[in-house]
Amino acid sequence: MTSSTDIEGGGTPVLVDGDTEPTAETGTRVPVGRSPGQLMWLRFKRDRAGVISAYVVILFFLVGLLAPLISQLYGKNPYTVYADERPELFDSAGVPVQPNGGISGEFWFGLEPGNGYDVFTKLLYGIRNSLGISLAVTLATVLTGIVLGVAAGYLGGRTDFLISRVIDFLLAIPAQLFFIASMPVVVSLFVSPRDETPVYVRVVALIAVQWFLGWMSLGRILRGTSLALREREFIEAAKVSGAPPGRIIRKEILPNVVTPILVQATYMLPNFVTAEAGLSFLGVGLVEPTPDWGQMFSKAATELVMQNDITYMFFPGVSMIIFIVAFNLLGDSVRDAFDPKTAR
Amino acid sequence: MGKGGRRAYAALSLVAAGALVLSGCSEGGSKEGNNKEDKENAQRQQSSIDFGDAKASTGPAAEVPGAKPGGTVTVLQRDSYAHLDPAQIYVSDEMALSQLIHRGLTGYKATSDDGKKHEVVGDLATDSGKTSDGGKTWSYTLKDGIKWADGSAITATDVRHTFERLFAPFVANGPTFIQQWLADTPGTAYRDLLKDGPYKGKHLPDTVLETPDAKTIVFKFKKAKPDLPYALAMAGYSIVSEAKDTKEKYDKSPMTAGPYKIQEFKSGKSMTLVKNTNWDPNTDPIRHQYVDRFAIAFNKQFEDSTKAILDGSGANATAVSFNNEVDAGNLSKILGDASLKSRTISGYQPYVGQIDINLTHPEMQNKTVREAIAYALPITPFVRAYGGAAAREVAGGLISPTVSGYNPNFDPFGKKKKPAGDPVKAKELLEKAGKVGLKLTFGYINTPEGQQYSTAMAAGLEKAGFDVQRQEIPAETYYDQVGKVENNFDIYHTAWGADWPSASTVIPPLYDGRQIQDGAANYSHINDDKVNADIDKASTITDPVKAAEAWNAINEYIVKDVVSNIPTAYYKQTQIAGANIGGLVYDDVIGGVDPRRLFVK
Repeated sequence: MTSSTDIEGGGTPVLVDGDTEPTAETGTRVPVGRSPGQLMWLRFKRDRAGVISAYVVILFFLVGLLAPLISQLYGKNPYTVYADERPELFDSAGVPVQPNGGISGEFWFGLEPGNGYDVFTKLLYGIRNSLGISLAVTLATVLTGIVLGVAAGYLGGRTDFLISRVIDFLLAIPAQLFFIASMPVVVSLFVSPRDETPVYVRVVALIAVQWFLGWMSLGRILRGTSLALREREFIEAAKVSGAPPGRIIRKEILPNVVTPILVQATYMLPNFVTAEAGLSFLGVGLVEPTPDWGQMFSKAATELVMQNDITYMFFPGVSMIIFIVAFNLLGDSVRDAFDPKTAR
Repeated sequence: MGKGGRRAYAALSLVAAGALVLSGCSEGGSKEGNNKEDKENAQRQQSSIDFGDAKASTGPAAEVPGAKPGGTVTVLQRDSYAHLDPAQIYVSDEMALSQLIHRGLTGYKATSDDGKKHEVVGDLATDSGKTSDGGKTWSYTLKDGIKWADGSAITATDVRHTFERLFAPFVANGPTFIQQWLADTPGTAYRDLLKDGPYKGKHLPDTVLETPDAKTIVFKFKKAKPDLPYALAMAGYSIVSEAKDTKEKYDKSPMTAGPYKIQEFKSGKSMTLVKNTNWDPNTDPIRHQYVDRFAIAFNKQFEDSTKAILDGSGANATAVSFNNEVDAGNLSKILGDASLKSRTISGYQPYVGQIDINLTHPEMQNKTVREAIAYALPITPFVRAYGGAAAREVAGGLISPTVSGYNPNFDPFGKKKKPAGDPVKAKELLEKAGKVGLKLTFGYINTPEGQQYSTAMAAGLEKAGFDVQRQEIPAETYYDQVGKVENNFDIYHTAWGADWPSASTVIPPLYDGRQIQDGAANYSHINDDKVNADIDKASTITDPVKAAEAWNAINEYIVKDVVSNIPTAYYKQTQIAGANIGGLVYDDVIGGVDPRRLFVK
């Protein structure tokens, strides 16, 4: 969830957005015509922090995408209970006997206390699952936000009133509590009592509950920008020339709200990653043995790990910090690139 | 014998509170106790408990080596005592307290200083009971000089009153064995025998309970009940004063007869026990009275009590806890510290864990499939989840090491050698049965420990070729759900503790096929003619040693030939006491520190 300050911050750039942007410095040569997108790209490339962050983020997505391949090359999977397969590596409480959580040439990141899962592959798959879910939530919320936000802003009147009240209502629901309460209910709707809850049901439920309460901030922003755009001359012109509303929305409004959408999406995705991890941490998201980032945190917070193998915390912790910081820096850079006037 | 569920719950909450384990920085591994103890247990060999005669029942109890009188012992407890009326006591916390304040007709006398050997002797009675007709009629004679804390004499009328009031409607929390035996009915139908208890002038007829004079009590049962001396030793059958009986109010301030009496009790806060000057050591072969005062404080979580005792300053130097165990986080640190060795005690709790195979499901009625499950099932996940070898010991049979008849060499599926399971052998069996890929619904308790061990157990079963479907069951309703005859699960884990050290409180409630009903403890729904017949036979054996052998034979037949229940682990715990506490012993019968032997150094 983004806070209301984010909403305002993300909302401002559009009105000052740049089809009227003058070409910066021209010199003697004939000015080259550049589209806003090209300008943004040029500015973005000049921002070193942004570019590095982009590489880091891309790396994480690649790792997630290629997790099965990497695990295969590495020769292990995150489901093998090494505490039973290789009992000599563990004591009777399931703590790795080797120092530093059993890190060795064979197990690069060590072994998980308890059932002894391989930490390296577990982290790869955890990243894969967490990012996959968050990406899906982001896509779903962005789509919903566009449809409802632009519709409310452009159509106005009763539609606007209705959608805005729905948004107000949903914003009033405490999101985290709602997730915790509704996850088990959503899951139980789909499962036969003789079968294990399939992983995909949990995944769909995770996406659904986060989507349900995740789209409003973007929806509000888009409503605001569409509302402002509606009164602009080029829209009036299109209306006068007889273009149908659908065409106006697609051809005139949408291209002008790309900036807030992109900026908001880059802010939302890391938020969804932490929210998803939070749910799994609390035991209502993905559960063992399905690898998950948040669930690794909850494992790391148990007495067993805290007292015996503090090294374990390092891997999910550091990787998540790097990812969230990189993604937030990337978000800032994207915003700056679109809107150079707002000084940081 | 239906209250086992409560004991099972007690195990559950203990375990849940115990959480996980162990310490030491990241140096690898958690430290553990050595294996010497296990060997000792193996040497204990079929330990059994005798019924003592008049000589064994004569006080005073043998002195504890090095003991001296005086001092105050601080007792740190997690839960306040909800019940002090003996008739309402059925929880381990109150049972431990009861050892100090209440007395019964019989009791357990420790015959060794390590708390491992016991004998049932007469406590208020002159011996453990006399029967002339194979256990149907039991007669007890009261000792001379036994008194209540107010100095009045304890008479046979008090004993009669004690048992008659068990039928009153307000008595709803204690054990029900003797009431059922007297009425010769199962379940709660016994209440019809004496609807309002003794309070409206009615009494049990002489054909059931006879008190011919002021010192003699005769129990008359329709069927032989050779376990009566054990049952009478339960805290729930301690004697209640007829003159001082205040019915419901007795639960807060009872009349006591033990070496200590309650000076002050602030429910939820504290309790003070002081010496009972009317207690005569010459009448009591079981208890001591070394300490002047016990100052009991409640609301001390396991972590708090462990830290306070480790701290050891001031009153904490003489602190102990009757029921709290060392918390998971500090366990390995304490077990690894040689200087604390003399201050820690470890031992068994009465519970035995087992995987029940639901015989109601058609697929589970194939014995080869059940054998495949038994071979494939890894026990190590269960041991790991609860903290390793210091908290759980891989079990061979369904009878705990604390119960008469335990056979340490019985291990038909090789679980002690291969605790991680034998998937190869299991796979062979499953292929023989033609059931590779069989769907197995595993109901597990939704606690962090339950999730951890069930995933690893499922992984082990899957290696043998099962298709395991794990189903979470909320912890609050776990035993209700698996206790239904028509449940959805093929396998699930339950634990059971014996009410006294005889398998007669284990085998009949859990494995008698005629007891199958919703809420009953026969979780695997085993209904085997041979088992049922053998239970009937064993129930009538009066010699405790022979009875123990007979019960063990049934246990071995169930595990090895019926394969309806797979033993997982015997429950263990570790407790700690302050540096100035003497007489610290883990008593197998109490299942914790023995409060009667404590003294201040």
